[in-house]
Amino acid sequence: MKDKIYTYLKKDKRNISIIIIALVVIVFGALPFYSDADSFFAYYLFLVFIYIILAQGWNLIAGYTGQISLGTHAFFALGAYTTAILWLHDVTKTWYYFDPLVMIISGVVPAIFAIIIGIPLLSRLRGDYFSFGTLAAAEVLRILILRGGKFTEGAMGLRLPAEGFTDMGIYYWTALFLALLATAMVYFLIRSRIGLALRALSEDELSAASHGINILQYKVLAFAIGSFIMGLCGSLFAYYLFIVSPPAVMNLNWMFLPILICVLGGNGTILGPIIGAFVVGALFTYGDVYVGQIHPMLSGIIIILVMKFMPTGIMGLKDRISPHR
Amino acid sequence: MGDLGLIAQVVVNGILFGSMYGIAAIGLSLIFGTMRIVFIAQGSVIVLTAYFCFWFFSLLGIDPYLSLIPVLLISLLLGAAFYYGLFRESAALKDRIGSLLIAVGLMFFLENFMTVVWTPNPRAVVTSYGFLTFNIFGIQLTLTRLIGLLLAVLAAVAVSMFLKKTLIGTAVRATSEDVEASTLMGINPDWVNVVTFAIGIGLAGIAGVTLATTYSFDPVYGFEFALKALIALTLGGIGRVYAALWGGIILGLIELLGTFFVGAGWAQGIVFMVFLLAMTFRPYGIFGGAGEKV
Repeated sequence: MKDKIYTYLKKDKRNISIIIIALVVIVFGALPFYSDADSFFAYYLFLVFIYIILAQGWNLIAGYTGQISLGTHAFFALGAYTTAILWLHDVTKTWYYFDPLVMIISGVVPAIFAIIIGIPLLSRLRGDYFSFGTLAAAEVLRILILRGGKFTEGAMGLRLPAEGFTDMGIYYWTALFLALLATAMVYFLIRSRIGLALRALSEDELSAASHGINILQYKVLAFAIGSFIMGLCGSLFAYYLFIVSPPAVMNLNWMFLPILICVLGGNGTILGPIIGAFVVGALFTYGDVYVGQIHPMLSGIIIILVMKFMPTGIMGLKDRISPHR
Repeated sequence: MGDLGLIAQVVVNGILFGSMYGIAAIGLSLIFGTMRIVFIAQGSVIVLTAYFCFWFFSLLGIDPYLSLIPVLLISLLLGAAFYYGLFRESAALKDRIGSLLIAVGLMFFLENFMTVVWTPNPRAVVTSYGFLTFNIFGIQLTLTRLIGLLLAVLAAVAVSMFLKKTLIGTAVRATSEDVEASTLMGINPDWVNVVTFAIGIGLAGIAGVTLATTYSFDPVYGFEFALKALIALTLGGIGRVYAALWGGIILGLIELLGTFFVGAGWAQGIVFMVFLLAMTFRPYGIFGGAGEKV
């Protein structure tokens, strides 16, 4: 009997997961109707969605491709600044929030930046060197933004017109949509031929290369797509924050958070970043309220403990408990 | 003297300043060499030891250079504790991602810990002789910075002697060349690793005392410092003690000359650009050599 149920579940696993996803989307999507969109819980979910987008971008680069990027904050900031500059200069002649064109450009600009720094860094360097290359590139970008004069307004940051702001509803739905989009992008990319190549080269670069995979091309591609997702997230955050300044968007937290989320949830899995985002989001928003200024210290301890005792994250625990995949 | 004198002054300051990066880079080089751990928390540990020095001075009234002895002992113990407590598994597995993330977590913890304990305000150890300067050929030399350079050179010589002359030092060098082969020769990697880690953090202690006596510091300065030490290491080339020191001095020169010629804001950008270029075109360090494959 038990076996029968199990085989039945396995056969319809695909359908069941589609139903579950649809249910989750409906529950979260309808939340502003039965709960206040300006409530603290809705704010928490909004932050969780932002974390999911950012973490999925990092997940693609580091989790699936095995390149530890430490430049997330740069791509995030680049997306935010692109949105702010396009909006202030009225390039697209659209004066509504979440203009799809602006958001896509805000993703494309970080992707181009990723290609520009990715080709020299990834063609010569591996492992830790790539990490420091991205970190150094982020620092160069920070200096460029700080010294950008009228264009970026330096440390003061750009102020966006906030007159059209009504409530959090539209933010909530856009964040939810982008979180789903980022997750779907990573999911379908990983299941495609490209994803196969990426996973192959993260396992063993030499063997992947000898099987005819153009390593540099795929690494740069993953880096660019991941940065595109991070840029989208930055754009969304720019619309939310209205003040795009280096302390707000180039904060090292934006580099640190996606790593913490992916590692905690399970790096290189599709659900890991989502679970991690809910946990870390709770830790940070509710930690702020209940524990106060000690919570950044706790998050440092948590990342150490997770890496030491649970290096495969929460998703890894599942494999340890049940042998069935 | 005019402009030339000023430039000479900047060059001297750059050398004195860069020697501090140099000591930190030697520690990083040792830790990376044997365990392949990129210890990004190095800068935060340096600031932590600077705070220890600050406490010894302000609470107990111990002279900062005398407090070098307890600070050095504490940091040696701290290094051993870090190894056994945090990095042992990832060092054994050569798990670079794991150890990097643990180091990032440690850095995050230390920064916030120091902010809670010592407040985010900048601190400095101000001694009676701290402003003592010599004037040689029109160049101002501050006593504390000169002692900093002296300490850096002494530390580099001591580490180099240790690696070349002692049995453990030879074991450390053997392990950093080939772990499997050295284990087959009967070297216990655990023992080598803990000694290396202790020395690496001990060097951070020396850098911390130098930092405390010469400049003001705050809890979040550590990250920037660790980045600079990494840059110094990359400039010098991994695996050689004196090269790391030279890398630090070159970095100090680039930074201060950049500040002098184009202004403080851009100097940091130049430093990172040089780092990117050096890493891309000369990954074994500007002094070349076969080095370790990256």
